[in-house]
Order: sequence, then structure tokens, then C-alpha cells
Amino acid sequence: MESPTVRMEDVSKTYPGPVVALDRLNIEIAEGEWVAIMGPSGSGKSTLLNLLGCLDRPTSGRIEIDGVHVTPLGEKQLTTLRREKVGLIFQQFHLVPYLSALENVMLAQYFHSMADETEACRALEEVGLEDRLDHLPSQLSGGEQQRVCIARALINSPKILLADEPTGNLDEGNEQIVLDIFQRLHTEGHTIIMVTHDSNVGTLADRIVLLEHGRLVTSQVPTRDPFTAPVQPGVPLTPS
Amino acid sequence: MLFRLLRKSLRGRKGRIALTTLAVAVAASAVSVLLNVTLDIGEKVGRELRAYGANIIVSPKQDALEVEIGGLRYAAAAKAAYLNESDLPKLKTIFWAHNIVAFAPFLSGTVEIGNRPVLLVGTWFDREIPLPGGIRKFRFGTGNVREVKSEETRFRTGIKAVAPWWQLQGRWIANPTGEALVGSALARRLQVNPGDLLPMKVGGLQQSMRIAGIVRTGGAEEDQVIVELAAAQTLLGLPGKVDRVQVSALVKPDDALALRGKRNPQGLPPEEFERWYCSPYIDPILFQIEEALPAARAKALRQVAEAEGAFVRRMNLTMLLVTGLAMVMTGFGVAATMTTTVLERRSEIGLMKALGADRSQIARQFILEASLCGIAGGIIGAAAGAWLSRLIGTQVFQVPINPTLITLPFTLALAMAVALLGAAAPAAQAARLDPVHTLRETL
Ligand SMILES: Nc1ncnc2c1ncn2[C@@H]1O[C@H](COP(=O)(O)OP(=O)(O)OP(=O)(O)O)[C@@H](O)[C@H]1O
Ligand SMILES: [Mg+2]
Repeated sequence: MESPTVRMEDVSKTYPGPVVALDRLNIEIAEGEWVAIMGPSGSGKSTLLNLLGCLDRPTSGRIEIDGVHVTPLGEKQLTTLRREKVGLIFQQFHLVPYLSALENVMLAQYFHSMADETEACRALEEVGLEDRLDHLPSQLSGGEQQRVCIARALINSPKILLADEPTGNLDEGNEQIVLDIFQRLHTEGHTIIMVTHDSNVGTLADRIVLLEHGRLVTSQVPTRDPFTAPVQPGVPLTPS
Repeated sequence: MLFRLLRKSLRGRKGRIALTTLAVAVAASAVSVLLNVTLDIGEKVGRELRAYGANIIVSPKQDALEVEIGGLRYAAAAKAAYLNESDLPKLKTIFWAHNIVAFAPFLSGTVEIGNRPVLLVGTWFDREIPLPGGIRKFRFGTGNVREVKSEETRFRTGIKAVAPWWQLQGRWIANPTGEALVGSALARRLQVNPGDLLPMKVGGLQQSMRIAGIVRTGGAEEDQVIVELAAAQTLLGLPGKVDRVQVSALVKPDDALALRGKRNPQGLPPEEFERWYCSPYIDPILFQIEEALPAARAKALRQVAEAEGAFVRRMNLTMLLVTGLAMVMTGFGVAATMTTTVLERRSEIGLMKALGADRSQIARQFILEASLCGIAGGIIGAAAGAWLSRLIGTQVFQVPINPTLITLPFTLALAMAVALLGAAAPAAQAARLDPVHTLRETL
């Protein structure tokens, strides 16, 4: 098997307190895989995503992203790596309020290399927002904002897409639109790591990683039946 | 994209940007006033202070033992010495001729009025003398030749220029040979008024002159009879002679070089002597006057000259301090507003960092914003400063100040420096923000 896109070995993250947010985590994620991260509130899901997004460094352990050992990198190198490899999607969208949809996408291009309006337009077309280019975030619905956020995350062709509860703030209709986009991205071969509380959303993934108190409980293939409990402990799939 | 970002981000914060710009403008206007006033007024205040008297007195060399008490001259030497009136235009041919703003010659002698001796003084009231103009060359021991060009071909001078504060009751002399001015104290004693005939005995001969006006000067002249120089020369039998010249010269306060040149300027090394000679301190001007009039001795009326230098220095220092203070305050003001902006925009900054912005890309936005405030504030401040300098000139110093464009680059540069220094800390703070923290706060 070729080397995984993400590899975590014995990764721990301790916040001052001390709060052990992640406890000796071992996870591997292959290229093109869609992984749902689930678990109760406070179990360390966002912490895990921050580490993968190169926004933070683990207290101990080894994280490799696309073959690069992240742990020893300095701030500057982390920033570069984040720019190149990671696309982030947030529950709260986090769009710059005074910039139009198009400009929000171009901003990510600018920080990466160079703003390219045509390319940014195309990215918004991909998520069905071709007629919302010049709207400000406040003039867009939640679903539309999240689609801008997805276009922004994709604009620099990242290696992995990290999404922290991307549908958490959306109504059913919008949730479906956004999930359709994720499914399309998945079939196109994007690696997706998505935190979710919603087991229905989780079932769309190739694999569910269940955290509890910062520890990996199970890593399993979800049952595709939305009416049964989606997470069934006892079928460990931890790669070894 | 950076400019697009900046434009959009500024749009939502117009009020605060205006405030920052205004703060910078205040500092810039202080700088502009300082520069305009010190550049222009140093000289003009000198002129203004010159109203309190000439700062150089030129007298004949042999006249060294002369003492002047209460306006009366007591010459120890048996025979008084004189300068030639015809030599006086030479004062305007020295290296620093431009700085000789006025001079007035005097010839005095005793006459008898009502059996009492009274000093009769002849002077120029308002005289226009022709000047050679053109280029004057000065050769130095270093081999250098310096040229001084003069466009002036006529020079108006006289007592009215040297002592413009004289107050006159009546009128100035219209008929130079038959009229006189009388000092106010003397007029009181003699109980005479303008229009009266003033009888006097000169060298045993009875003469009389019409009183044109009574002068108040606050000085010894209040006890004297003042006539045109030519009239005095005729009355005293000294045609073409002058015994004293008062000179008003603009001088620069003494500094180290001036002090080194004090005792024996010709003992200075040639380059230094040249520099000394070509600096408008009081001493080189005296030196040059004696060069031009070899029979004369030029002395500084030190007190006036020094008080003047000290005044200008102190004024400049005060303005410098005020300007410095304004700049520091503005720096803090910019820092405070910028810090508020950083705090307000922290989630946005965190987001940008999460999107891959590095420190310099974040800091750049704030630096650019500050630069804009700096330039705008600088231009507004320079304009306001120019206007203020004029106002200060007319209201405070009673001289017109003409703001010059030379001050603009300095004003802009300092405005920029203040804005950037003020923005430095907040920009660094923004660049250091931790994206995880700031994003979490808004979750
Ligand atoms: N900066 C921090 N300082 C201290 N403790 C922190 C910090 N960030 C997170 N924690 C703690 O670490 C633990 C894991 O937090 P994390 O945000 O990863 O949970 P989560 O699984 O994302 O929860 P939720 O589902 O509510 O978003 C929590 O107990 C949290 O209080
Ligand atoms: Mg979370």
C-alpha cells in the first residue's frame, strides 16, 4: 500500500490545565478517503482537525501529511504547508464580511500565490454560485455561505479537505446541497476529513473515527442504514 | 488584491481612519509650522528685534578712548577723528552685505541753546544710495574664490530703518538745511513746539532752524537736536565727515566655530578661516566691515546681539519640543486606534492566517493602512501648517511668513514615520495572533 495522505502516530495534545484533548492517537487516512470524525462534545474532534490543518502542533507524537513530518516544523513552515496542502471548511463559514463571495475566494488565492479572478469564478460555478459572485456574505443564505467556503477551500487544490461540522448550521435543504457537493468531491477523488455530530452525515463517509475523551474508540465502516444506530462499536478497523 | 482588500476593509471603518488621519495631520501641521517658522522667521525675528537698536557700531580707529555719557561724547584724544561719508556705501559690498539690513551715519557736535550746551546730531533720515550690484569675488587662502551676487542696485537706509520705533510729533524734516527735530526732553525744557524757530549758537555764530517735529526715542536722542547729516556737516564745519555709524546686521548665534574664531580669526587654518568668514556670525561681519573701511573700527553691541541669538535659539527649542510632543502623542494615538482595530478584526485575522496568510501578509495590511493615513495626514497637515504659519507670522511675530515647498518632503516623511511607528506594535500584534484561538472565540 502506498504511503497514506495522513498518518498520526501516538499523537497527544495537552492544553494547559492540564486538559488532555487528544491521547496517543493512531490514525491513517489514505488518499481519496472520506473520513467522518464523531464523538461527544469535548472529545477532541476539533483539536484533531486543527492538528491536521497545521494550525497547531501536537504535544507529542508524529503527524505526517502527504509524507511531510509536521511536528518539528516552525510557524513559517507550518503556514506554508497549510497553504499548500489543506483546505479548511468551518461550521461558522468564517467569510470576511466586507468582501464579496468572489473576493473571499480570491483572498485564499492571494495568500497562496496570486489572485486569479477567472479561476475564482469557476470555483464558485462549481458550487452553483455563478450568479452570486458579487454578493456580500450578509446577502447570502447559510447554505450559500457554506458553498463559498467550500469553493474557497478548494481553490488552491489542497491535498486534504478538513471540515468541522460543515452542515451544523444549515437547514435540511441546504445540508443536502452541501452534502451533495461533498459526495461529488469524494467521487472526484478528494481526501475529506469531516467532523460531524450527525450520524446520517457520518454514514456517507468511507469510515467513521469515533473519539471519546481524546482517545480513539473505533474506526469502522459505517452501516448504510440510516435507521439503525450508525456507530457500532466492536468492529475495529484500526490499520496495523 | 491587497489594495482591493484594503479598500474594502477601510470602507467599513471610515470614522476611525479619519480620526487616525486627523491625528497624523495634527502632528504634520506642527512639523510644518516648525519648519516654516524656523526657516523663515529666524531671519525675520532678527529683523524684528533689530527694532531695539543697531547691533554694530562703527567708529574711527583713532577714536578709541572716546566715552559717551548721557549722549555727550568726551574725547580723551585732543583731536577727534572722522570717517568719510563717501566711504559708507562700501558697507554694502562686504561678503555678508546682504545681511546688513540698515545703517545710519552720525556726526555730532555741541551747540549752545539759551547758553547751555546741547548736542547737535546730524544723520541720514531716509536715504537711497546706489550700489554697484553685480558679482563680488572673494579669494581665500585655500585657493577658493567665492562669488557673491547682488541684484540690489539701490539701498534705502537711514535712521528710520535703524530706529523705526521713533515717535514723532509734528513731521519729518522737509527742508534739510533749515529744519530740525528736537528730542522730547529738550523740547520740554526749552518749551518749544513744532513750527517754532530754534535759535542756536554754533562756533560763535547765531543760527536758527525751524522745528519740524519733536521725537520720542526712549534714548539719549531725547536730549538732542537732530538734523540732516549735510546740515550738521555745514554747521560744524566738517564737510563729508561722519564720526559714527550704527549698523543693523542679521547675525547667526555663535557656535563652536564662531568661538574658535573669536580671538584671532587669521590664526585659524585656512579652510576653517574660510568657513568662518563665510558664516554670518557677528565677528566675521565686524571683520569684513573693517576690511571695507580700513580707517574704521567695528564693535558689536554685544548684549543686543547675544540676547537676539538666545531668543531665536530658545524659540526654536520651544517649537522643537512642542513638535516632538505632538509627534509622540500622535504616535500613541495611532497605536491606540490601530490596536482597537486589530482587536476588532482579530477573528478576521485569525481566519486569514488559517487560510495560509503568513505574518508579513497580515502585517502588510496594517502597515499599508498606516501609510495611507500617514500620506493623507501629511498632506493635510502640510497644508494646514502652511496656513497656520502664515497666521502665526502675522498674529504672533507681526511678520509675514511665506511657507516654502522645501518643507513638504520633510513634513510628509515625518508624518509617515509617526504613522508607521505608531502602527508597528499593533501590526506585530496582529501578525502574531494565533488562528486557533481567535477562530475558537467566535465559535
Ligand atoms: N485552547 C484550549 N485551552 C484549553 N483547553 C482547550 C483548548 N481547546 C480545547 N480545549 C479542551 O480540549 C478538549 C477538546 O476540545 P475540542 O474543541 O477538540 O472538542 P470537540 O470534540 O471539538 O467538541 P465540540 O463537539 O463541542 O466541538 C475540551 O475539553 C476543551 O475544553
Ligand atoms: Mg469542535
